[in-house]
Amino acid sequence: MAEAVLSFIDAQHRHPLPDPKWYKPWDKRLGPGVVGLNLDLYAGSVLGLVGPNGAGKTTLLRMMAGILPLQKGEVKARFHSDTPAEVDDLRQWVGHMPEQVRWQGRMTVRDILIQLAEMRNVDQTRIDGLLGLVGLRGRQDEALNNLSQGMRQRLSIAAALLGSPKVLLLDEPFNGLDPVASQAFTDLVRRLASKGVSVVISSHMVAQLEGLVDRIALLHRGQLLDEGPMEDVERRLDLDGRYALSGTGEVDAEHLFHDLDVELLDLQQDDSHWSLTFRGSPLSVLQAAMANDVSITSWSPTRPNLVEWLCAATGMSVEDISLDVASSALLPMKTAEVGEDE
Amino acid sequence: MNDLKRIFSVARRIRNERLSGIRLKVMLPILILFLPGLAWGFSDPDIILPGGHQPSNAMEVLFYASLGVVFGATMCAVLMAFDGVSRDRASGMLEVQLAQPMPRNHQASALILGHTQSILIPVYALLFACLGVVRLRMGEWPSLQETVVYVLSTGLVVLWYTLFALLASTTAREQGTAIAFGVGVWFFFTFLWALVTSMVAYASGVPVGEANDASWVALEGMLDLLSPNGVYHHLLETQLPSVDRGVAAWQVWIGAVLWTAVPWWALHKRMEALVP
Repeated sequence: MAEAVLSFIDAQHRHPLPDPKWYKPWDKRLGPGVVGLNLDLYAGSVLGLVGPNGAGKTTLLRMMAGILPLQKGEVKARFHSDTPAEVDDLRQWVGHMPEQVRWQGRMTVRDILIQLAEMRNVDQTRIDGLLGLVGLRGRQDEALNNLSQGMRQRLSIAAALLGSPKVLLLDEPFNGLDPVASQAFTDLVRRLASKGVSVVISSHMVAQLEGLVDRIALLHRGQLLDEGPMEDVERRLDLDGRYALSGTGEVDAEHLFHDLDVELLDLQQDDSHWSLTFRGSPLSVLQAAMANDVSITSWSPTRPNLVEWLCAATGMSVEDISLDVASSALLPMKTAEVGEDE
Repeated sequence: MNDLKRIFSVARRIRNERLSGIRLKVMLPILILFLPGLAWGFSDPDIILPGGHQPSNAMEVLFYASLGVVFGATMCAVLMAFDGVSRDRASGMLEVQLAQPMPRNHQASALILGHTQSILIPVYALLFACLGVVRLRMGEWPSLQETVVYVLSTGLVVLWYTLFALLASTTAREQGTAIAFGVGVWFFFTFLWALVTSMVAYASGVPVGEANDASWVALEGMLDLLSPNGVYHHLLETQLPSVDRGVAAWQVWIGAVLWTAVPWWALHKRMEALVP
């Protein structure tokens, strides 16, 4: 793996919350956010940032975009040279696509891109190319008020790419995109990564990121639980080697797996079909199935979903996690040192 | 593109968008009624004002017609700018703007200039129409100095209310709070300030509302420095030799500078700390 293009070292940003007292009516205290974050972004790599609602994904992306300041820690970059240097303003290197921007107003698509190009101090000649890239060339004179959600999402992508960023941040980019646009978007992300752009995609849908991301960062309660190539993280969390098997007729899973070193994770069965998920050697399972005349229609490797990732990483049950997500309080998971009242 | 050019360019886009909006079309009849309308009324050769007073020259008519600026133009400034930040924040566009490498204080300056220009362009057009009306009705123009002070001070009072509205807009999370704050400030200085003045006068033992009492006139003059509308009228009164409320011209201009600089600075500070 190449050297990190951007490194966050012990970074923190926690949102100030109103904490009025009679003698200090405007007093604030630190609330949820991102704490103790150590994360490297690599050139040409696509990082999937996953976590449930309220995990701190958007806060982290805003920190990376230079919108939210670091309250603690530092950020080092290798944009200029091979030596990491502290950066004061990330914004000129980073393209940021926030979640669900409702572009509105009487300005046209082209005008807003020109304005953003002026704000970035970049050449406006890029705009034509970008409009073509995101499929908005035919809509460039349309007022923002008249755009559909999908068109707005495309415009957000174009806005994020305006400054030829070294790091591209995409917050839930698939929302509002139709399947064709999603596929085109996935291709675009891969193309950008192949040109050396470091891409960060936040999502609470792990399945959407499969095949697209090189690395994954698991975020929960404002803390990074694990990070690395998906297979490595899976192995560390003991979630690797999963296979899905399905077939027709009936299956006696207990009998089938009797002498095998295989863990049955899930079994669904109705009158004519069955499907199961197991962890272990697929070859031995297939051999056992054939020996027992079990009718198999498909088998494939499968990935755990977000809930399973979180359960494995936190050691919490599904119920605990879902209740925890509903709470906005920051409860430190591992080593973060925060005040008890927070 | 240098920084100044960039600020003006962003301001121009904000201004053009606001100028072409429905909101201005709704406000235009109000402005026409309040600015040339009042100038027309006060320049009537037969007008007798309360107290038997009759405006005797063009500047005096413009001074009385400035009520239209206080009631109409400042209100329109608030209505133009109340969602200058909060609308973009609600739509997510603010986050895109804040992610651009243009310094936030430059973005704040562009916001101020864009919104102020969007209301000043129609106001100035109507102010010049006022001059024409006065010329038509009274047969005289105000002097160049009077015109400059009139135009400049009107620009300042519009700028102040735009700043208040934008400040409210940076604080408010939703449009209702932003407009309530902006209109509240306008209402306070436009309608309730007389009550504040009366209460202070009463507490100080000064006879309230006695136009011929020197202590009342002096107190009212000083307290008016604490109100943007009061400073606006003080600025206009620098061109009316017959009016003396015990406040020197330099004090008035310092007041004007402070009413400009403090909210301008406050807005820049707010923008620096703004979270999408």
